[in-house]
Amino acid sequence: MLSVNANTSGKPEGRPPVSVKGVNDGLLFLLDEECEHEVLTAYLRELLFENPSQLLSGPDVKVSVDYGNRNLTAQENLELLQLFLQKDNFCMREWSSNTVARRALFANRNRPERQNIHKGTIRAGQQVYYDGDVVVIGDVNPGGEIIATGDIYVFGRLRGIAHAGARGDTSAIIAAAEFAPLQLRIAGTVTRVPKVDGRVMNTFMEFAYLRDDGMAVDKMHYLFAIRGEKKAKRKRG
Amino acid sequence: MGTAIVVTSGKGGVGKTTSTANVGTALALLGKSVCLIDADIGLRNLDVVMGLENRIIYDIVDVAMGECRLEQALIKDKRFESLSVLPASQTKDKTALQPDRVRQIVTELKQSFDYVIIDCPAGIEHGFRVAVAGADQAIVVTTPETASVRDADRVIGLLETENLRSPKLVINRIRSKMVKSGDMLDIDEIVQVLAIDLLGAVPDDETVIKQNIKGEPTVMRPDSKAAIAYRNIARRILGDSVPLMVLDEQPGLWARVKRLILGKA
Repeated sequence: MLSVNANTSGKPEGRPPVSVKGVNDGLLFLLDEECEHEVLTAYLRELLFENPSQLLSGPDVKVSVDYGNRNLTAQENLELLQLFLQKDNFCMREWSSNTVARRALFANRNRPERQNIHKGTIRAGQQVYYDGDVVVIGDVNPGGEIIATGDIYVFGRLRGIAHAGARGDTSAIIAAAEFAPLQLRIAGTVTRVPKVDGRVMNTFMEFAYLRDDGMAVDKMHYLFAIRGEKKAKRKRG
Repeated sequence: MGTAIVVTSGKGGVGKTTSTANVGTALALLGKSVCLIDADIGLRNLDVVMGLENRIIYDIVDVAMGECRLEQALIKDKRFESLSVLPASQTKDKTALQPDRVRQIVTELKQSFDYVIIDCPAGIEHGFRVAVAGADQAIVVTTPETASVRDADRVIGLLETENLRSPKLVINRIRSKMVKSGDMLDIDEIVQVLAIDLLGAVPDDETVIKQNIKGEPTVMRPDSKAAIAYRNIARRILGDSVPLMVLDEQPGLWARVKRLILGKA
């Protein structure tokens, strides 16, 4: 997916007030929700009329503009719209606070990620990284580390370190047939597994997940009950 | 064409050199021709354990540098006709050898010996890669401690990347009493973690230390348990199926009488 960083004025601030995303068949302009109206119009004017890039002045292009939760007065609304209408190659398709284009873009992002299968044992000193969910057919030995951006399922003994949701997905889980990890990490939360009689706790068919008060471990047959609850909460939120 | 076996562990002090010396000698006792290579350049001690230190003239680095012929560096053990040792250098360091050159030497030795056994240095750096270069098989030595099992695990992973796919495991220095009381990892637990075939389990035995000081391999004292364990390992390498030795110490006379009277263990 194409993404244009439109910060041509060399402003030092982190995020520009307008970001341009390439969507299926055109361009989506996402307007900042907080910045002042003057800053926004000034930036937009510069972006649309003084940008040397071919992208915004080539052949006809379908344009959607999403201003999110920005409170626009009638006057401001008109000013912004006029800026876009002045571009003769822009074919305006959407102008709203919740465009189809934006929803499609974010729906795309939440689509279930890739599923991977790792065959073989992860031994001490080995570190394996997967984008998406991963099923390990084998053991994760002490000193070994399995990292995934999604869920981790170990079809064997988990005795090493597992890091699920490595890019911040707090709904990720870590499950194992034999569950005796050295350390568990989900998104940004790290826990040690309590020791029983000087040895690492060892249980079967369990999984770890994040609750509001930290990490919890439960029997595998609660997985979908807890998962469902989490998903519902995410939708409401 | 013989077989080259590298003996490695990752961690130091678990008994690589002792295992190399004893497995090699046991194979020689079983009638095979064996060459032991000490790949621990700079810290040679295989020759000390074998009691051949005073006979070294050339070493493996001299062979690799082309300063002598391979046969000149080989030391024939006078006790066993079919056993030779290629000693390491004490003055050079590990960088003096390159994997390719060692592979050539090992291949050359494999022409005239049934088994070439390579004693690997501790660690997983250059010295390790040099030692495993020419090997066809690997033996991983570990002791029943977490640290050495962890290092063995790491080494097994590295051996896989060096294309030594199914290494065999030797668990050294087992104390059956401590295993029983739960103070030491037991064999099953170690095998479960490392997930490779067990080649043998060697009990902790004072004879090993005594024999090392004498410069004689332990297998020459068949009355000791460690010697029997090493001989069993050698037989398993040759393809015999030998049951695992029972490591429990026999209760003494007094304990047996007590058990008879009291009717309990």
